[in-house]
Amino acid sequence: MTAPTEVQQASIQTAAFRRWLYRVSQKYVHWFFIAPALLAILAVAIYPIVYSTGLSFFRVSFDSRERPFVLLENFIWILNDSDYRIVLGNTLLYVLVTVSGAFFLGFGMALLLRRITVGRNWLRLILILPLTIAPIVVGLTWNWMLDPLFGLINWILPGLGLPPQTWLASTSTARIVVMLVDIWQWYPLVFLIMDAGLSGLPRPPYESARLEGASNWTIFRRITLPMLRPVILVVLLLRTVDAFRTFDLVRVMTDGGPAYTTEMLSMYLYRTAFNFNKLSRAGAGATIMLIVIGIVSALMFRFLYREVERR
Amino acid sequence: MQYSWGQRVVAYLVFMVMAILVVIPLMAGLLTAFKPQIIWVSSPPIWIFTPTLENFEFVFVQRQNLLHLRNSLIIATGSVTIALILGVPAAYALARFRFRGSKGLLQWLISLRMIPPIVVVLPFYVLFQTFDLRNTHIGMILAYLTFLIPLVIWMMRGYFVEIPSAMEECAMVEGYSRLQALRKVVLPVVTPGIIATALLNFIFAWNEYFLALILGGRNTSTLPVATATYVGRARVEWGNLFAINLIIMVPVIILTIILRRQLVKGLSLGLVD
Repeated sequence: MTAPTEVQQASIQTAAFRRWLYRVSQKYVHWFFIAPALLAILAVAIYPIVYSTGLSFFRVSFDSRERPFVLLENFIWILNDSDYRIVLGNTLLYVLVTVSGAFFLGFGMALLLRRITVGRNWLRLILILPLTIAPIVVGLTWNWMLDPLFGLINWILPGLGLPPQTWLASTSTARIVVMLVDIWQWYPLVFLIMDAGLSGLPRPPYESARLEGASNWTIFRRITLPMLRPVILVVLLLRTVDAFRTFDLVRVMTDGGPAYTTEMLSMYLYRTAFNFNKLSRAGAGATIMLIVIGIVSALMFRFLYREVERR
Repeated sequence: MQYSWGQRVVAYLVFMVMAILVVIPLMAGLLTAFKPQIIWVSSPPIWIFTPTLENFEFVFVQRQNLLHLRNSLIIATGSVTIALILGVPAAYALARFRFRGSKGLLQWLISLRMIPPIVVVLPFYVLFQTFDLRNTHIGMILAYLTFLIPLVIWMMRGYFVEIPSAMEECAMVEGYSRLQALRKVVLPVVTPGIIATALLNFIFAWNEYFLALILGGRNTSTLPVATATYVGRARVEWGNLFAINLIIMVPVIILTIILRRQLVKGLSLGLVD
């Protein structure tokens, strides 16, 4: 063996360098794919979150250039605002009713779809149509349906022996009507996803349960429900989070009225910021909302991941 | 499984009722778009009339809502395209590589979907003024990326996970680099998924109202904002309103029918097939 010449030495070094570079790039190759999206998200999502959280510690409005630091003043103000508490109650009720309503109706319809053989795909397709229609269009369409003077609903009701109503203007009906329209639009999501979940269940457990002579109810409770748990969690997670943020539908149907019975959190914050010019108070409210939604979704997500990994 | 006749009849009846509840409001609304002004509101409702296009002519020619249609198309197409360019590679990496923090990153990404839009809208409002992005399509597209990028990543991850990684490994053993394997082997297989993701996200961007309402200026308002302008304090111009609603709704219904098999995967963020 002769000693390697200088040229050989250099080529060995570059080869080593290239091997090293290759190893490093293999090890971190995923970051080349992820980095662009991550940077964009940092710019358009994280920065705004940080900004609006920061905003809530200052006093900011559109008509003043000065932005004094006020620490928790905005938080204290909003937590003491009686409207805020009403709105919080409204929103929680809305989430509870619409999510559980959509869930039970959607799940029920998905189970019922099993009993249908002819025209199954058509019926499913018709039922899911509201799902992708803009909430604002849904709201306006139902405004028209519910109009006290010429709406189809009031035209049909006397035929059923019921008196016509001013649905969206009276405090006793507005809330429930808006919730029903929300359910009308969103139960298809539960229906669609649960139907897919049911179709994906394995058959053998059912067959053996039948051989054992188990009743339908037992089979549903002991086999169907446990196997569907991850799907149920996904659906509830998606629906809960979206219900919390509801804006379009309620804004166009009642705009919070009558007498504040349908005012939602997002609408209240919108008004605080843009109608009442209290940007930083809205920021404080938004920060609280972010924390609440974050905790709720983190809990649900923890649950979900455990379920998915167990499988 | 076997069901009795009684059970089946009940199921059909229930489905009929629910289908009617969907079809009647949508049809009645759409019909109004073709009604002449004198019968926009009428009690009892008039079902048979000579259809007219005067509402469409009014909104698109006299009121220049064509501008809003254009804005809707530009903003939705632009934001979805950018979201795909950024999101698809990220989705691929998150589906293929297990690295430290990959699971946490995914969870974190899904939690972005839960940001209340009001949190995003306040800073954007201020930023628009600072960087003079008011009334620009770019500004709106940036705002839409907030919710589109995480959605694209999650949906596309669902499609990439389905492709066995053996496919690329074979290609790489044959001498392809990872990028070549990605382009020549994975991408063709995943194209239907990309199309479905693109269309579904287009629907989301197309329907978006909140950001458009607050951030949209005179030259960037979209159709959902335009349709709400026909709700006046004293009266609502129903025929004109439904003419725009029809333009918002019909493309979406067509896309829904095209996408019906991909809808579950897309709407459940790729978590359920």
